[in-house]
Amino acid sequence: MNDFKALSEAVNKGDNKTALVEVQKSLDAGSSAEEILNKGLITAMNEVGDKFSKGLIFVPQMLRSAKTMQECTNLLQPFFQEGDITSKGKVLIGTVKGDLHDIGKNLVSMMLEGAGFTITDLGVDIPPEKFVEKTKEVKPDIIGLSALLSTTMPAMAQTIEALQKAGLRDQVKIIIGGAPVTEKYAQQINADSYAPDAGSAVNKAKALLGIS
Amino acid sequence: MKSSEVPGFRPRLKVLNREQVLAIHSAALEILEKTGFKMEHPGALRMLLNAGCKVSGQDWVRLPVKLVEDALRSAPRQIDLYDQKGNKTMPLVNGNYFYGTGSDATFTVDIETGQRRRSTLKDAANFARLIDGLENMDFAMSMSNPVDAPIEDIYVYVFAEMIKNTNKPIVCIADSGRDIAKIYQIACQVVGSEEALQQKPFILNYSEAISPLRFPENVMERLIFCAEKKIPVCLPSGSNAGGGAPITLAGAMALGIAENLIGLVVHQLAGKGSPFLFGPNVSTLDMKSTIVSYGCPEWSLTQAALADMRDELYGLPIWAYAGATDAKLMDAQAGAEAMFSIVTAMLSRANLIHDVGFLEYGSTSSLEMVTMANELVAMSRFFTAGITVNEETMALEAIERVATGAPGSIFLMDDHTFEHFMQAQFLPKLLDRSRYDSWEQSGSFDLYKRCNIEAKRILSEQQVEPKSTEVLKGIEQILQMR
Ligand code: B12
Repeated sequence: MNDFKALSEAVNKGDNKTALVEVQKSLDAGSSAEEILNKGLITAMNEVGDKFSKGLIFVPQMLRSAKTMQECTNLLQPFFQEGDITSKGKVLIGTVKGDLHDIGKNLVSMMLEGAGFTITDLGVDIPPEKFVEKTKEVKPDIIGLSALLSTTMPAMAQTIEALQKAGLRDQVKIIIGGAPVTEKYAQQINADSYAPDAGSAVNKAKALLGIS
Repeated sequence: MKSSEVPGFRPRLKVLNREQVLAIHSAALEILEKTGFKMEHPGALRMLLNAGCKVSGQDWVRLPVKLVEDALRSAPRQIDLYDQKGNKTMPLVNGNYFYGTGSDATFTVDIETGQRRRSTLKDAANFARLIDGLENMDFAMSMSNPVDAPIEDIYVYVFAEMIKNTNKPIVCIADSGRDIAKIYQIACQVVGSEEALQQKPFILNYSEAISPLRFPENVMERLIFCAEKKIPVCLPSGSNAGGGAPITLAGAMALGIAENLIGLVVHQLAGKGSPFLFGPNVSTLDMKSTIVSYGCPEWSLTQAALADMRDELYGLPIWAYAGATDAKLMDAQAGAEAMFSIVTAMLSRANLIHDVGFLEYGSTSSLEMVTMANELVAMSRFFTAGITVNEETMALEAIERVATGAPGSIFLMDDHTFEHFMQAQFLPKLLDRSRYDSWEQSGSFDLYKRCNIEAKRILSEQQVEPKSTEVLKGIEQILQMR
């Protein structure tokens, strides 16, 4: 009935005005919010992500598309039905204790959001207790930990231990990242996954929850 | 024969005119007065309040221009760094430029295996020793964030390694007020006393505020410590275009300068007349990989612009970077990027130039890369010295001798050549100009291999005048303190 071609194009271009108009049109034409989200927006965002990993577009273009998608999702919000799957999953993210670097973490958050995840960003210099407290409150599917300093990498391990002690470790998947962090280190400290950049963070997050 | 010197010009790079300088400066002032900044150190906040700043909310400060003017007036226009034996080797002033390494590389290219691996304390020692032996490298930084040092004291441990392996000045990092105090103690032991260190400082602390406009407590703690103890300090924020700062270079500079001016004001309030090395780090965030680049032309351009602003306006010596690359190996890209930043930094007369020898956007350090850069600095130095024009160098007599001499006369055989060739020519050591056959005979080595051999030679032969057993004991005690 609706192939969402114009919407997809607008999301690809990051043209939020046209995208919003297209979403409204689809709603008027009787498409469900869930259908617009999944077949329109998320499919388009996947294309964008794909182009980015192939080096065909630059980060600001990708972020603009993500922002466009976000605005469209906001417009759709009131139209979702009970039981609609509107989020890929909940992610709790933060830079660990002692570390003030946040540009990489912010980028990862934005990309995950663009891919359909719901994000709670705790900020920087977050102690293990705070992660524990917020995990109880937000009940995330995934926890993302960022560290840019070798000296703060151990705080990642401490955070994971604290979650373990609080009996929360089994309820979440943990993904870590940041320049000095490696796949090996992730295994060593009992994290579930590692990603070297924001693009692969999305793929890894999806893989963790078994979605595509 | 008396030679008459023609007034000389030394090649010099300018990238801003006065109007541009003033426009960027007023933009910076506008940020301070209108936008304001977040000061998370209660003591610094109090000082700013008392000095006439306005505070809104808990810690959001707006700063009047007058304070900037005062600080620019009271900060010294010359910073003298000494080596550890008390010789003034780095007068940071006017057109003087000095090169040295960078700090916390996570990885190091192993000089034996060529493999990239986690950095160790031994690497900090090796880099310091190499610096000690390279004539164009003026100061040491750690080049290593070691995996084998106690985490809470990493910066004290690398400092101790540097002290043991070089007598050149040291640019040091610290995490908090606690480790800077230990580093200070070690430095005092090396020169004998606090007064001796104040009179002839051989350390400079490299600290960073956070773009945009955030001044964390521990960063300010170090800054104030240094101001009080008169330890030279710099406070570049990471105002990288597209990341911590606007993508357009003028805006990124305005923000970085505003942040530096805030640092300067607090610093001068805490220690009027204490030495402050000016200058932000304005590189770029790469729009594909999202790395902060250590080989881009933007960083070189913004520091050339800062040099112009220093000359037109600020008058304070400046901080800069060069001799690094985003390449993962010391390859052709590494050579190109290193040379570009080295020669432009020199041509714009940046004063203290760090990060020499970094690969992989500052993640990896390479002894070979530092060794190559040493030669690139020599090459740039030759260029920057310009052309000496006088009777002797015009060589009219030699021209006449050779032109009218016996058939077959060539300049190579003339005395004038013998007398002048050492100064008149750049004589490379590592850049290869040999004829094909002899290059082949000596192993067909590329520059990387030659630098590897040279670095190993220096590491094994360099005699670093050792510290006294008393000093070494003192260092051990400080390292054992918990
Ligand atoms: C900008 C910067 C700063 C800024 C940070 C501003 C900010 N708001 O973040 C400032 C100036 C404040 C700063 C301070 C310091 N820094 Co700094 N900094 C950098 C720099 C130049 C770039 C980092 C960056 O933003 N990159 C851009 C982003 C987009 O990339 P990224 O962070 O790597 O993130 C990507 C991936 O890692 C991954 N990722 C990141 N987080 C996560 C999380 C998850 C869950 C996942 C899946 C993925 C993921 O995806 C991201 C996007 O693609 C690096 C050097 C470099 N070139 O990397 C040094 C660097 C990280 N800093 C370093 C140091 C030492 C410091 C200081 C100690 C220096 C000092 N003198 O005080 C202080 C420490 C302050 C503190 N306590 O945290 C060292 C660290 C060495 C080490 N091994 O520990 C580096 C490597 C520089 C160096 N070689 O010396 N720094």
